[in-house]
Amino acid sequence: MDARLRRVNKEISDCKADTSSGIQIELIDDSPFHLLGTFPGPEGTAYEGGTFKVDINIPDSYPFTPVKMKFITKVYHPNVSSASGAICLDILKDAWSPVLTLKSTLISLQSLLCSPEPNDPQDAEVAKHYVTSKTGFEETARYWTKVYAGAKDNIGVGKTAGGEDQIAIAGLEKAHVDQFEALGFPREQVIDVLRRLNYRGKNVSQISEDRIVEELLK
Amino acid sequence: MSDVEYSDDDYYDDEDMYDGTQDDADDDGMDMDNEDFQIDAGPKRKPYETEHESLSQAEVERLMRREIEQTRNILGTDESVAGLLLRHMSWNKERLIEQYMDNPSKLTDAAGITIPEPPSPASAAPVRSRSSRPSSKPLPHKRPSPSKKDEPFVCPICFDDAPGLETSGLDCNHQYCIGCWTAYLSSKIRDEGEHFIRCMAEGCSIVAPDCFVHASLLRDEPETWPRFKELLARHYVSCNPSLKFCPHPGCTNTVSCPGASSKSSLLSIVPTVSCGARGIPGQEKGPDSITVAREHKFCFGCPIDSDHRPVICNVAKMWMKKCADDSETANWIKSNTKECPKCNSTIEKNGGCNHMTCKKCKNEFCWVCMGPWSDHGTSWYSCNRYEEKAGIEARDAQSRSRASLERYLHYYNRWANHEQSAKLSLELYKKTEKKMEEMQITSSLTWIEVQFMKKAVEEADKCRETLKWTYAMAYYLCRGNHKELFEDNQRDLEHAVEELSELLEQPIESDTIPTLRQKVTDKTVYVSKRNEIVLDDTANGFLEGRWKWNVHVDGFDDPDPADLAF
Repeated sequence: MDARLRRVNKEISDCKADTSSGIQIELIDDSPFHLLGTFPGPEGTAYEGGTFKVDINIPDSYPFTPVKMKFITKVYHPNVSSASGAICLDILKDAWSPVLTLKSTLISLQSLLCSPEPNDPQDAEVAKHYVTSKTGFEETARYWTKVYAGAKDNIGVGKTAGGEDQIAIAGLEKAHVDQFEALGFPREQVIDVLRRLNYRGKNVSQISEDRIVEELLK
Repeated sequence: MSDVEYSDDDYYDDEDMYDGTQDDADDDGMDMDNEDFQIDAGPKRKPYETEHESLSQAEVERLMRREIEQTRNILGTDESVAGLLLRHMSWNKERLIEQYMDNPSKLTDAAGITIPEPPSPASAAPVRSRSSRPSSKPLPHKRPSPSKKDEPFVCPICFDDAPGLETSGLDCNHQYCIGCWTAYLSSKIRDEGEHFIRCMAEGCSIVAPDCFVHASLLRDEPETWPRFKELLARHYVSCNPSLKFCPHPGCTNTVSCPGASSKSSLLSIVPTVSCGARGIPGQEKGPDSITVAREHKFCFGCPIDSDHRPVICNVAKMWMKKCADDSETANWIKSNTKECPKCNSTIEKNGGCNHMTCKKCKNEFCWVCMGPWSDHGTSWYSCNRYEEKAGIEARDAQSRSRASLERYLHYYNRWANHEQSAKLSLELYKKTEKKMEEMQITSSLTWIEVQFMKKAVEEADKCRETLKWTYAMAYYLCRGNHKELFEDNQRDLEHAVEELSELLEQPIESDTIPTLRQKVTDKTVYVSKRNEIVLDDTANGFLEGRWKWNVHVDGFDDPDPADLAF
């Protein structure tokens, strides 16, 4: 039997047998080399309560070349692209070793969520937010976890802070919020939409105003 | 042990191979020569030529072996360890010996080697058996049965648990099945171009010695071994400043040019070298045999993979950078913009009135006369102050700045023109080949006798290359008698090349062939001489320190303020 197929089969069945870690690997289509990994957000972090889905592509030369992984679930994290889900992690590149498995890699992703590396960012905007305002960053990360990763709303998002602070916490520009507020939308809703679309930095030029108004009208 | 003998055989094999390739290369060279053209006769080196030697891969490997042997003798280690240490230290023998004497275990740890302690079982095998040369001996550390006898061995990578599975491991004793080792090494070598390959275990720093790599590839991936050897040779070459790998696609030759190994030497010579091969390996016999069989010329001192004589690397690089940055933009700037008379920012007027306010320095001026706006009073929209002194001064500054742009474009256009012609010469080659066939049919000339056409095309091509770079040189040369002489030589060469090109484009009629042949042959000799004069003169100029630049060039004195071009 093909060594790669045997190895992947074994990895999938091993993962099924283990129920304690909460890590799951499933098939997406008929191919055993295109998989869906799921893991719970680590406890005690902004990602707690969320369920994170990862797209797993197993290259032909696996396990001698690293597996290709990216987040399907949108994650607000310095080392994960907020747009594409691409991940910056050493073991997915040059620190890969053939003895690492899909499961151990997913565990590494889980621990990456615990310990961001803002000095080696995948998403510079998010990393900037992390460095300038850790609490603001965590607020947004928690919010994204709720919106995209299905966490229960256990932290009142943006209900405690005053107007100005709320904008700062969301990592947004006051001018942007004012601009849409002037169109007659409530401030909270504007902040909500802008932070969900990650309307900051160079993203501003990529997201059209019509798109935002569309979101606001939903 | 018979290993030593085996290795010696291998050594001689390599040498034979090397000699063989050299002979071939020489033969090729002979073919190109023709009795009509004995200009380059004599082995004496011209001032514009740089002494260099072409080495085949086998020859490079021999140099590597010699260095390993020397290091091995000094350090008293075995060959494999010496090789890994040298690779770890980028082949810097002096530093290696120094650090090894200082703290051997620290160095061997860093280099991914564990030296077996004398009583340990790993050194039971004679040290000599670990050789960096190919050998057919069995895998080191091969274990027919797994280390734990009671449990069946399962390869941690492919999960194969077949009984009697052959496994192997490095000195760290991480055991994996042989199939996985082969696949791993092959993937590292083929996909990643890696020659310093660590153990598969996570975080393990032990590096696979050459004999292990060879033994693991031997059975299922023998074709990957030569690739590994090539990577080793490339690494050695890249660490040695007097060696350079031929950059032409598919070529595995190396050129040794000790005369150009230091940065300072590049200030006075242009080390154009050739690895001796021509064309693309494996395609020599294609239909466009002339076109593909170009000599593998490249510059030893910089990444330009063609002959950039007569201009030195620093200046050539400066020119390339300027062209990449400026040429297209400069054309556009010239036709669409003016500069602010105060801060010289370039401004495009895209509408509106003539009252300009510079975005950068807030200077207000008139677009028409370039004079300050404050002098204009109320006569907006129509400037009637053309003779104002301030305006004249501003226009002077403007025209100076325009002049420098014009000057650049003058040189650039000529440079680009020759580059374009060189590209078109591929076409010309094909056309010439057709003409040569035609000639053989319409006249009594033999194949050997029509070679003059080919030689002429090659010569014209070569001279255009020289001409192209003379424009880069002239752009940066500071004004004076030397530059004038240089430009005289340049003009004579250019004139001669154009005449030759014209002759080559002429239609062939059977009754004029003998005259044409005479004319082309004469012109080729003349052009070749003119080319030599340009190259000779510039090369001597560099050696005498005759050339002065109008900009700062690294390694030269700063130009006189009066000579500054800008």
